[in-house]
Amino acid sequence: MTDADKPGRAPDDDTLDDDLDDETQADEPEVQAADAEAKQIEEERRRGFGATFIGYVTTANTVMVTVYSFLLSMVIGGVLVIVSDPEVRGTFGYFFSRPTDALSASWEAVSGVYTGLFSGAILNFDTLDRYFADDATLAQVLAPLSETLTYSSALILAGLAVGLAFRAGLFNIGAQGQVIMGVVGAGVVGFALGLPLWLHLPLAILAGGVAGFLFGAVPGALKAWTGAHEVITSIMLNYVALYALGWILTSEFVRDPDKTHAISKEVADTATLPRLSEFELFTGLRVNLGILVAIAVAVGVWWLLSKSTLGYRMRAVGLNANASKTAGMSVSSTYITTMGLAGGLAGLAGAVTVLGIHPYALTHHVAGEIGFDGITVALLGRAKPGGIVAAGLLFGAMRAGASTMQSVIPLDMVTLLQALIVIFIAAPALVKAMLHLKVPTGGLATSTAKGW
Amino acid sequence: MAAIGVTCGLALFVTACGEAPDSDSGNESVATDFKACMVTDTGGVEDRSFNASAWQGMTAAAEQQPAIEVDVKESSSEADYETNLVGFINEGCNLIVAVGGLMSEALTTVAADYPDQRFAIVDAYLPDSPNVYSMEFNAAQSSFLAGYLAAGTTETDKVATYGGLNIPPVTIFMDGFAEGVEYYNEVNDADVAVLGWNHETQDGSFADNFEDTAKGKSLTENFVSQGADVIFPVAGKTGMGTPAVTQTEEGLSTIWVDLDGCESAPEYCEEFLTTSEKNIPDAVSSAIIAARDGGPMDGHSVGTLDNGGVSLSPLRDDIDDELAAEIEEVKAGIVSGEITIESTVQPTE
Amino acid sequence: MANDHIDLTVEPGEIHALLGENGAGKSTLMNMLYGLLTPDGGEIAISYPERGEDEETIHRFETPGDALSAGLGMVHQHFMLVPVFTVAENVMLGREKTSGIGLLDRRRARTAVREVSEQYGLYVDPDALIEDIPVGVQQRVEIIKALISDCELLILDEPTAVLTPQEIDELLEIMRQLREDGKSIVFISHKLKEVKAIADRITVIRHGRVVGEATPEASESELASLMVGRDVRLTVEKDASQPGEPALTINDLTVADDRGFHAVDGLDLTVHAGEIVGVAGVQGNGQTELAEAIMALAPTLGGTIHIGGSELAHAGTSRIIEAGVGYIPEDRSFDGLVKEFSIEENLILNRYNKPPYASMGMLNAVEISRSAEEHIKTFDVRTPSAQTPAGSLSGGNQQKVIVAREFSRPLKLLVAAQPTRGVDVGAMEFIHSRIVAERDSGAGVLLISSELDEVLSLSDRVVVMYDGKIVAEVTPDTPRDQIGRLMAGATADATETDQPDGDQQEEATGD
Repeated sequence: MTDADKPGRAPDDDTLDDDLDDETQADEPEVQAADAEAKQIEEERRRGFGATFIGYVTTANTVMVTVYSFLLSMVIGGVLVIVSDPEVRGTFGYFFSRPTDALSASWEAVSGVYTGLFSGAILNFDTLDRYFADDATLAQVLAPLSETLTYSSALILAGLAVGLAFRAGLFNIGAQGQVIMGVVGAGVVGFALGLPLWLHLPLAILAGGVAGFLFGAVPGALKAWTGAHEVITSIMLNYVALYALGWILTSEFVRDPDKTHAISKEVADTATLPRLSEFELFTGLRVNLGILVAIAVAVGVWWLLSKSTLGYRMRAVGLNANASKTAGMSVSSTYITTMGLAGGLAGLAGAVTVLGIHPYALTHHVAGEIGFDGITVALLGRAKPGGIVAAGLLFGAMRAGASTMQSVIPLDMVTLLQALIVIFIAAPALVKAMLHLKVPTGGLATSTAKGW
Repeated sequence: MAAIGVTCGLALFVTACGEAPDSDSGNESVATDFKACMVTDTGGVEDRSFNASAWQGMTAAAEQQPAIEVDVKESSSEADYETNLVGFINEGCNLIVAVGGLMSEALTTVAADYPDQRFAIVDAYLPDSPNVYSMEFNAAQSSFLAGYLAAGTTETDKVATYGGLNIPPVTIFMDGFAEGVEYYNEVNDADVAVLGWNHETQDGSFADNFEDTAKGKSLTENFVSQGADVIFPVAGKTGMGTPAVTQTEEGLSTIWVDLDGCESAPEYCEEFLTTSEKNIPDAVSSAIIAARDGGPMDGHSVGTLDNGGVSLSPLRDDIDDELAAEIEEVKAGIVSGEITIESTVQPTE
Repeated sequence: MANDHIDLTVEPGEIHALLGENGAGKSTLMNMLYGLLTPDGGEIAISYPERGEDEETIHRFETPGDALSAGLGMVHQHFMLVPVFTVAENVMLGREKTSGIGLLDRRRARTAVREVSEQYGLYVDPDALIEDIPVGVQQRVEIIKALISDCELLILDEPTAVLTPQEIDELLEIMRQLREDGKSIVFISHKLKEVKAIADRITVIRHGRVVGEATPEASESELASLMVGRDVRLTVEKDASQPGEPALTINDLTVADDRGFHAVDGLDLTVHAGEIVGVAGVQGNGQTELAEAIMALAPTLGGTIHIGGSELAHAGTSRIIEAGVGYIPEDRSFDGLVKEFSIEENLILNRYNKPPYASMGMLNAVEISRSAEEHIKTFDVRTPSAQTPAGSLSGGNQQKVIVAREFSRPLKLLVAAQPTRGVDVGAMEFIHSRIVAERDSGAGVLLISSELDEVLSLSDRVVVMYDGKIVAEVTPDTPRDQIGRLMAGATADATETDQPDGDQQEEATGD
């Protein structure tokens, strides 16, 4: 495996983006680079705000590229909406005899889709109007946000699971299997034990994490001891987990005898994540403690990576395993620990799912695609905890918006649109090329391409 | 990229010169006064199975009563059930139909949170929710007939069935099928064996999912190599693997489930002896119409051979009249209660 | 700004040396010439009288393709070869010729390679796989690639950095041959000896500016001070060593390389506290494996290694480091640094979990920054800040970071492999003086270097390694050609004429 395709050649720091131009600059006098930078800052100060602003929005910096990717994907998505809707397409058949039809139909379709996304994920202005007219509750106004946060919690945790492994140079494709194991661990503890809330809930969450940890450590150990590639082993373990879940569901101990379909006993009330709707003001909101768990864990992962010796070791091994070994670090134990921790994070994603969302029980599809979405979230978040939280929220918003968008376009189209947004955000070089943005000092294209 | 753009532009240009329709020639839209909405389970509306059947019922209701407007949301994961149900409440639906037993938990909660909202559920019974109308189907009855038909048709004295998952909504079909074959053996002193399901031990062949057509294919090939010539898949999309196999060889045939195979999968119509139908469309459309007419909010219907809730679709042309007549007799026996079906997973009325 | 108004003229049939420290902007200039970078101003004019062009044509190369067609060829520091392809396949890469039915015409490529290699004495087997041939030969393949596309001006970017002394001589010979054939060569280097040996004219650049022109007659110290911008000492000043207890004792050590061959084969060696023992030898004679075995980075097949009296090989690398062994690895970007890490992170790479840098599993950011600032000052690392990624530093400064890390704690033993490879004169002077200082404070130093000059000027004792064994021990004032013969595998007896001290030799070769 060469350096270039090593996934762990993780995202270059932003500072790197700014100061570094890859190979060619390796020989350049660093002092002069600093001079140049100082000059540029000086120059910007002289140019005044307006010019600086224009300079900023026409340069391929991280913020603007993300903004532009979003806008571009919405434009292209809009074109797809127009093309895919037979009625709108029909109005283009007589575009030249009465263009207003085509234009208004297109506008209606496209704006319907995006308002659908916005009103399903963030705020529905109709509800807001009704709220001011005393026709809706505060809970209804907040419902879209509640949905977004509900979906986000598991996605953030799964994203962290993949992102953490990335930082140690490991590609954790096995998050899905680890999520499933987490669901099983948390679910079983949730329905099998009868304990007070303060003990039962933490114990169930922990059980999910531990189950994920053990399952995640397997590919790490296989890599450390036998050299088996973690991508292959963890993909295969996804199947193991999926079919193990199917088998577990048939066992007497797990299966709910009162139900006609394949579903486990329900998690006890003492083990479910408290919902916001337990306050009367927020009746009907299903956002639960899971989102706080996810954010707390993200902070923990940030701390681990940037402040702890273990995180230092993980990053060092991820970026250069040879140098780490030479410096006396144990690369194999780092692999095992990292994959275990990653699995534990995925297990927590499973736990907040089964303890926080209906049916509060194990079913065949209980884990959905959380683990696979976690890969996208981690890539989108550039494997940094803060980025992953943001990406998880974005993804959660798109999932929440899917419900309302479906009033205008079919679910497949919704998924397609969401994929487009992800592609553009994940491929800044593409956006840069399409909009002919100026490359900032350093060269964003090279560093991001190297990143992933 | 540019090339695509040019091509598209050209295509648009060429087709864009049509005549504009008269603006007032559009369809007269009737004012609607009732909105019925449906939430699918993770199979989606195109599953050629119960989601599709339910949607058929929805559209049928809208056709019968132009004042009824229908809408659907698909779920991509179980976490979406609640979102979609609540989403429809916010969109002002008068009746929300949940499809599939897996939605019963989510529906129970949502129904409790919104006691004034009307709901209905297909394939489950929620007696504790006063605002949910439940629709169940005793598919063992129609499958009993299917089993009798299979036993009467087989040349090899071996028939087979397999399921998607070992869960009651699936095994009810397999139970009925196996009992129907047994009944045939009893009456005609025959010795037709059922592969893939043992209704006493409640164990048999399962694909473990409802989406993997290839798995259905390999299960079917397995049965064929063991000598079976009539196969009854109860596995949604997975089952589509069966007609794909039976069409390759003369003398093999399929019995379909849920929705008349000749309509839901017309490309394989030749392969289907019949379909053990769950008449979801009728149940759904009559539930909607009843709801609009102000019927009670709760209730429970069980589809049987008697009320037409389950049935066999028209038999394939090559089935001899004698056998067809026998099946009519068996049907009458079941309706009158002369023939009792043992299956323990049958819904109770 | 890496290049600031540089004027440079290369005449036909001339070897023009571009001399400058690492980071002076030599590579940037040549990348511009070759179309890899676009200049902000100025022009490049080329004419080929032998092609009948008298008029100078102004060129602005946008891509390497433009440069190629204008008759420019470039051999990069890092070779652009596909390891799993044969020599001939690599040579035709990018200008694949096909026979009638669209098959690659390998035969034609092979013939072309043969012709060029015979013409210029560049002997290469066209059918050998790149990954199987030594670095020096790979470089020839690069040169052949350039020559085959009718290049008139050949740019060689630090071509000797990766070569053994023998290979360097061969390369210089090839360059002379090319000059006789009327080719022009731009020879980029920071090695004074080679530049003096081969160049017709020398241009010295510093901080992106031309600071002087010189002829090969100029003395080394003149060139060096031009290059560095101040006077430099080229010899290492040190007092006589005062050896103490053995810091490292190796008995009958056998180590296998990646392919299972015995790269180190029954080696015995002792390094005492307070002395520098230099290992001379052509690269690939087991030096790398020796260093790795001492650090427990490679498994040994037999023999013992005692560090300060105790055997630590099974305890693992981190215990060895803890026992006071410093290690400057041979390949700094591969083994020595995490390029993406900041300087301050790299400075704690082997002590990240030890006080004062960490306690209870938590990094002490304040202490890490504080000591980083201190080390950057003490070891003269030229960087905008301690947060700068190590990979963006020049080679010399990267090496200083490693040296700072290893020397900033009390050492009992220092294993220094190629400590000044690819490092400019200024940094080299500094690193050498630090190694001597380390010796004077009582550490034993094992110096492994393929630069014979370095071994001879720095060491108190010199051992010659050949084929996995120590074949001779000599004093540092032994004539170079005699050591050169030993390095090439001649037995010690054959060269004994000049050897004053027979005892030492026996100690090394016997048992």
